[in-house]
Amino acid sequence: MSANIDKLHDDHSHTPSGIMRWITTTNHKDIGSMYLWFSLIMFFIGGLMALVIRAELFQPGLQLVVPGFFNQMTTMHALVMIFGAVMPAFVGLANWQLPIMIGAPDMALPRLNNWSFWILPFAFTMMLSTLFFESGGPAAGWTLYPPLSLQGGDSMPFVILSIHLLGLSSILGAINVIATILNMRAPGMTLMKMPIFVWTWLITAFLLIASMPVLAGAITMLLTDRFFGTTFFTASGGGDPVLFQHIFWFFGHPEVYILILPAFGIVSTIIPAFSRKKLFGYDSMVYATASIALLSFIVWAHHMFTVGMPLAGELFFMFTTMLIAVPTGVKVFNWVATMWKGSMTFETPMLFALAFIVLFTVGGFSGLMLAMVPADFQYHDTYFVVAHFHYVLVPGAVFAIIAAVYYWLPKWTGKMYNESLGKLHFWLTTIFVNLTFFPMHFVGLAGMPRRIPDYAVQFADFNAIASVGAFGFGLSQLLFVYILFNTLKQKVTAEDKCWDGAEGLEWTLSSPPPYHSFDKAPKID
Amino acid sequence: MKIFNILLMVILPTTVLADWETNMPRGVTPTSEVAYDLHMLIFYITVVIGILVFGAMLYSIIYHRKSLGHKPATFHESTKVEIIWTIIPFIILVGMAVPATKALILMEDTRDSEITLKVTGYQWMWQYEYLEDNVSFFSKIDNESNVARRLNSGIEVSKVDHYLRNVDNVVVLPTDTKVRILLTASDVIHAWWVPELGGKKDAIPGYINEMWVDIKKPGIYRGQCAELCGKDHGFMPIVVKAVPKNEYYKWVSIQKSNKVAITK
Amino acid sequence: MKNFKKTYLSLTLFAVFMFSFSYMLVPLYDIFCEITGLNGKTNQTKVLNINENPAERFVKVKFTSTIANSAPFIFEPVDREMTVQIGKIYNTLYTLTNNSNSIKHATASPSVVPSEDAEYFKKIECFCFSQQEINGLETKELPLQFIIDDDLPLDTKTLILSYTMFNTTDQIGSN
Repeated sequence: MSANIDKLHDDHSHTPSGIMRWITTTNHKDIGSMYLWFSLIMFFIGGLMALVIRAELFQPGLQLVVPGFFNQMTTMHALVMIFGAVMPAFVGLANWQLPIMIGAPDMALPRLNNWSFWILPFAFTMMLSTLFFESGGPAAGWTLYPPLSLQGGDSMPFVILSIHLLGLSSILGAINVIATILNMRAPGMTLMKMPIFVWTWLITAFLLIASMPVLAGAITMLLTDRFFGTTFFTASGGGDPVLFQHIFWFFGHPEVYILILPAFGIVSTIIPAFSRKKLFGYDSMVYATASIALLSFIVWAHHMFTVGMPLAGELFFMFTTMLIAVPTGVKVFNWVATMWKGSMTFETPMLFALAFIVLFTVGGFSGLMLAMVPADFQYHDTYFVVAHFHYVLVPGAVFAIIAAVYYWLPKWTGKMYNESLGKLHFWLTTIFVNLTFFPMHFVGLAGMPRRIPDYAVQFADFNAIASVGAFGFGLSQLLFVYILFNTLKQKVTAEDKCWDGAEGLEWTLSSPPPYHSFDKAPKID
Repeated sequence: MKIFNILLMVILPTTVLADWETNMPRGVTPTSEVAYDLHMLIFYITVVIGILVFGAMLYSIIYHRKSLGHKPATFHESTKVEIIWTIIPFIILVGMAVPATKALILMEDTRDSEITLKVTGYQWMWQYEYLEDNVSFFSKIDNESNVARRLNSGIEVSKVDHYLRNVDNVVVLPTDTKVRILLTASDVIHAWWVPELGGKKDAIPGYINEMWVDIKKPGIYRGQCAELCGKDHGFMPIVVKAVPKNEYYKWVSIQKSNKVAITK
Repeated sequence: MKNFKKTYLSLTLFAVFMFSFSYMLVPLYDIFCEITGLNGKTNQTKVLNINENPAERFVKVKFTSTIANSAPFIFEPVDREMTVQIGKIYNTLYTLTNNSNSIKHATASPSVVPSEDAEYFKKIECFCFSQQEINGLETKELPLQFIIDDDLPLDTKTLILSYTMFNTTDQIGSN
């Protein structure tokens, strides 16, 4: 097989150049880059929406937007960040890293890989265009609860179609990932010898296939309720609005683990590299990740504690949700044990990874508080929840993605980024992220609900701080973009092994690696 | 920065500040009190765990660094340790689950209520019905707030009385009385929430939910809708006025005789 | 190569199964609610074992009504509260008035609290979910016949039945 590949790919005169290269590429490195650039653009678009929100919330009173548009911003901000920024970034990292980490020449289905990517810009163009409709974009929250989401606007069928397309892209990508990992590892690389990042993506891919179709079902039911006379979610027809919430969150909870498991894999890669010490408890880390994934299917109703569930249901979901803290805690302890008695240096990837551990854990603590139902009755639908999920997603998932980019950028590009600028980016980002989201715990506890464009005067001070933090955070990311472009302009090439403590097959390749790597499988000891 | 904020939250929960409020109110009902106590218990436990874990990290970051010449150890697994740090958190969680379960059972027990208040959520106001007395009225955001909140109204909102938390018709309830609150809605899902009364339940069209309150202290308690319900979700406040029983019954008989007009 | 095809097939089937699973959740949800009587869904019973000697146990039953989506109806229970003996059959009425000038269709959906006791509130004859056709400015009486099951837990002293009346004219198309 490898002989055939050698013959086909020796000569690149048949590959298109310019824009056609990117439209038709089946190369995992090219596709990985496209996903990452797309994710960066979407991060800024979602970020702009966040700044509209924070600008309006800077002071009490309405100064900038009408409430209806504000609701469009909160809805779209979430949809863009979840489906346009975080998920594609992880897929981009998967595309770049999985084949070279397992010694495979490419992904299992390279053409499907291309298609999975190109669905995204198309779907998001459709989704974002609804903001320009006369009736505006979706404004019922990214969770789309009926009956509110059935109430109106021409945007609804377009948003539903885009979400279907995004789901399709994820499912096809996940099939590709699983097939690649299960069938294309270099001989000698058993499952328990795989890099931990590969494990977390393998498990994430199963979660994707299990949960995205359920979302597809839920939004199809919304569509038919609105246009084709079904009554899944209307009491008059024997339906129930709460049924939607069950179906949605059955998808929604595994979804949030989809948003964090690859991050765990990244942190589990970076901490050992910069501690110059192997990951502590590799086997436990694998089992913990798998148990988190399994448990994620039996906790969904913790997003719905106030719907009027029977006591038995509330207790069940409270207990299972608390239980998820156990494997998550094991992971945190294992990271600390990895660092312990290591020989650490603090380059930018390590700084982001360390901040991840601390700040994600803070998010985990507020999550544990949210699990306690009697207290949750006071937290639900307040800014306390907003603080929680932003802590796990921003200094959680996003920091891990940024750490991964800094870590692997010299490998991908063959150029080293400017370390002082990277550190500056880190400190600005970390300070501003806390300034933005920590005060949200306070206003939530003090009584400020979510998804409101204006608030009572007693919440003003912390909201002002949060808004300042948000603008600072946003501006700091411009520095990140500068660093990226600055890196690409560098003349000095990076070594094969860019980091002293790095381990893994990718570091045996040149920086950048050849367009086609591992045409012949490497030897694994 | 983070440490300062954590300290603030620990030192200040019992002091009530006009602004810069950092904590949930303990409230004036048995349900709000169990919720608060549970909240503080879990919070303190997470602070302790945080100090231990972040303390270990900090120690490691300071002392186990290459620049100090520290050489890396080679250990990378220990089944014994993994078991310990699985079992101990599990035990802590069981310890948390006990008071949580007791609190929840209390909060969900609406039996033996003396009076029933039916709350119906509308876009964007509330309707209140006192079932035993057949008194019913709508309650919406008061006019002063409603005008001031318009985009570029030019009105300084800090000068508006209880901006966004004032209504035209308040809900009067008796103190020291178990009140069963029924929740439903006419159009979309809303949620009725007064933090100081504890508890929150969704108001779902076509279905009835219930919760209970037993207000121990007379006073005015303010809340808001807590489920996104459309463009004016942020503008449908709740004001509960709790008065002693005899005052309440006087109020009820006045309402009955006035046959308060249903305004929309 | 065989491994790949097996992987693709099983994963695709898995995805298709999970899509159908979301639709399966619809009847599963109803079955779960029916078995447990949760979510206030009451039972409509045709066949009854009437206890010849019902216990001397009485509970309060309250009746309330809600109109959905500002429908042009007036919808009220005739009896707001009844003291009811367990195991005996009772009759009551709701009245529905069409405040508009044109013919309308209306459908009522019931809900009972406490939800864990809903299964003991057995309706023998009711207008739940049945389409009512009502002319402009007409008033109709909607009868309800019910019995509280003997097995109602001892500490339940009050049950509340609520109906929400929906204007379902658009779903049928008015004549």
